Amino acid sequence: MKPTPDPQTPDPQTPDPQTPVLSVRGLSVRFRMRGGRHIAAVSDACFDLAAGECLALVGESGCGKSVLASALLGLLPGNAQTEGSAVLGDGTDLLTADERTLARTVRGRRIGLVPQSPAAHLTPVRTVRAQLEETLRELTGIRKPALRAAAEQAAARAAFPAGHLDRYPHELSGGLAQRAATALALIGDAPLLLADEPTTGLDRDLVERTVDELRRHTDGGRALLIITHDLAAAERIADRVAVMYAGRIVELAEADRFFGEPGPRHPYARGLLDALPERAFAPIPGMPPELGALPDGCAFAARCSRADDRCSAPPPFDGHLACHHGVRAGTEESAHA
Amino acid sequence: MAESVLGPARRTTRRIRVVSSAGIVAAVLLAVLLVPPLVQLDQQAVDLAAKLQPPSWQHPFGTDDVGRDLLLRCVYGLRVSLLVGVVAGLTATVIGTAVGALAAAFGGWTDRIVMRLVDTFSSVPHLLLGIFIVAMFRPGVGPVIVSVALTHWLSTARIVRSEVLSLRSRPFIDAAISGGASRGRVIVRHLLPAVLPQAGLAAVLMVPHAMWHESALSFLGLGLPTHQASLGNLVQTARGSLLAGDWWPTLFPGLFLIIPTLALAGLAGAWRERINPRRRSELML
Amino acid sequence: MLELTRITAGYDPRDPVVRDASLTIAPGESVGLLGPSGCGKSTLAKVAALLHRPDAGTVVLDGRPVRGWRHGAPRAQRTAVGVVFQQPRLSADPRLSLRELIAQPLRATGRRAEVTDRVAELAPAVGLTAELLNRRPHEVSDGQLQRACLARALVLRPRWLICDEMTAMLDASTTAALVAVVEAYRRESGAGLLAVGHDRVLLERWCDRTVGWQGISGRVATQESMSPTG
Repeated sequence: MKPTPDPQTPDPQTPDPQTPVLSVRGLSVRFRMRGGRHIAAVSDACFDLAAGECLALVGESGCGKSVLASALLGLLPGNAQTEGSAVLGDGTDLLTADERTLARTVRGRRIGLVPQSPAAHLTPVRTVRAQLEETLRELTGIRKPALRAAAEQAAARAAFPAGHLDRYPHELSGGLAQRAATALALIGDAPLLLADEPTTGLDRDLVERTVDELRRHTDGGRALLIITHDLAAAERIADRVAVMYAGRIVELAEADRFFGEPGPRHPYARGLLDALPERAFAPIPGMPPELGALPDGCAFAARCSRADDRCSAPPPFDGHLACHHGVRAGTEESAHA
Repeated sequence: MAESVLGPARRTTRRIRVVSSAGIVAAVLLAVLLVPPLVQLDQQAVDLAAKLQPPSWQHPFGTDDVGRDLLLRCVYGLRVSLLVGVVAGLTATVIGTAVGALAAAFGGWTDRIVMRLVDTFSSVPHLLLGIFIVAMFRPGVGPVIVSVALTHWLSTARIVRSEVLSLRSRPFIDAAISGGASRGRVIVRHLLPAVLPQAGLAAVLMVPHAMWHESALSFLGLGLPTHQASLGNLVQTARGSLLAGDWWPTLFPGLFLIIPTLALAGLAGAWRERINPRRRSELML
Repeated sequence: MLELTRITAGYDPRDPVVRDASLTIAPGESVGLLGPSGCGKSTLAKVAALLHRPDAGTVVLDGRPVRGWRHGAPRAQRTAVGVVFQQPRLSADPRLSLRELIAQPLRATGRRAEVTDRVAELAPAVGLTAELLNRRPHEVSDGQLQRACLARALVLRPRWLICDEMTAMLDASTTAALVAVVEAYRRESGAGLLAVGHDRVLLERWCDRTVGWQGISGRVATQESMSPTG
């Protein structure tokens, strides 16, 4: 079954190379809590993601990045309310699509998920081959005689060694388990890959290998949204970086400008980079605000050394930055902010 | 503090289930506690002229083969069965929790010996073991309670032991030890409070289990003396009349056994959902 | 001195995860132990914290050999070492408020009179507000919970601190903040530190010296890169 094309999209059959694979506009997620309280987990997120591009969504735990990922996959719990839109290249709006559409045409087929803990994502009682074959049957309709070869091919795409196909997940090292999970995510040939903290708990070598492999798939023409708190991993893989703070995207920048010169422009992003042990190793004072009790103005103002009167009004996000100051070494950048 | 994240529809069905279960349990408790002292009727009153009457306004549940009112007999029967169920269930839970927690907390040989004993007892059918215990005493409520309690702590001991074992290897126990906590303090302050909800759940589920066990013993003629109304005895004496086509003397005691069982299971299920610590992860924060 | 000599430890005596590892930390010194995940460095950290009995080898703490482990170790010896683990969620009793979490070691050692003062002193140092102290673990973030776990490790003023992947789950800013708290405590108290982790950049920035897992284990009586024992 083909997803119903959005009438506004000109022609879904021949996608315009300029059409983003994913276009998120004004995405907000609020959780309704007991006693009428609300938690604003994601507020007004806007970004585009093109084929062959990797966007890293960075921020500390609890800033709303995982909720954003779950919203894109339609996996939010029942008390969540969403606003805005998240439109795939073919016009499917992930926020309004029903569960049936998401299950049949989106997850696995249009969005491949690279999970946080591959060991938990793989079924412990079945071999990697069995899991690959099952997913192949499900997503591509390949049947018995061809299935074996197809599974080996799918494994090879994620650099999973064919000799390990008949092993069970617990017999795999962390790196191989991650590759097996990636192989599963790639089977549906989804144009968009979503990696949720794919490197948590891995050592540096393994982080680099995992990230490099994901980069390879991006270079093969897929779009990749990677969600991570690991700035080093983000620097290694991303074309663009979106920094999230207290549920909002506060800066969206080219990765080389963000990590190199001239550096981030939002004071929070600057502080986050300065906290790295290879840089100043200095923490940002204070702690992020509660998502249930956000201030009226800039959520970072209470921790910001440059906060002034203007910060009592919420800073608008202009597509690159949500800050009244626009930190730069010089002032020329803040002028055009 | 407890923040439910279920959708409104699921929350409503869950509430209906909890409220109806609680209502039934409350009604049962009221009936067995209040009816005997308040209603000045003799459940033993024999009226041979009115024997085996089907349900009517005068006898809503009908009468038995010697003309006793079955509603009254059922309430008295439930009273005895529930007493046996609650006392035996609680005793079994306390024994099981203590044995399971100690075996797991001490580990090593203590654990191995205790758990082998538990396995040995478990391999004998409960009913057989129960029969063996009641056979040593004169029939009465006491021996039945002992028999049920002594055969039913085994599963609780297993549950509590595995729970404590999984907790014992958690870093927070390591942190407590490193912070100078004594063995006793770790058990009392950190391990037992964590397993109490599980043990409580086991206790609630144990009550109907013990009631059924009592009924089975009585049905076999090994439980309470036959003149004493218990649900098992009622079904047992009514067995003969069932063959004659009289359905009410078996149906009503049976329902008195089944309905409280379902209500208690419903309450236990609600409790299980409450103690399930998933709330924060469901929020994904 | 915290001296670990030829430690072999694990969960199955036939297949120990730590073989013949030796490591010595001088008072006031901070040592980073670097190794890939699953190599056994966490087990060695638990041995050093007297929380895991090694199959072979000796631990000498401040000149006194360790004879018992876990509850078998004298309380004074146990509480001389403070530990912080990788996963704050698993390291906190879910039923206790953060205030109680921090106060537990004081209560366990019969020093409840000091609870109010000590918590009031430590909470701002680790960056916890009074409001956060009243919450329970499921109501705070990983970073906030790890701050409380660090405060708990410091509440008895240990002479040694063992941080087992303390910051692996945390973002850069919280990592820097917690390391700063540890270092401030060490400056003030002169405590020694064993920081276990897999992030070379972090450990090299944090510690006086960093040893690789290969450097301390597997070989018999290696003493290179270690301060002289005894």
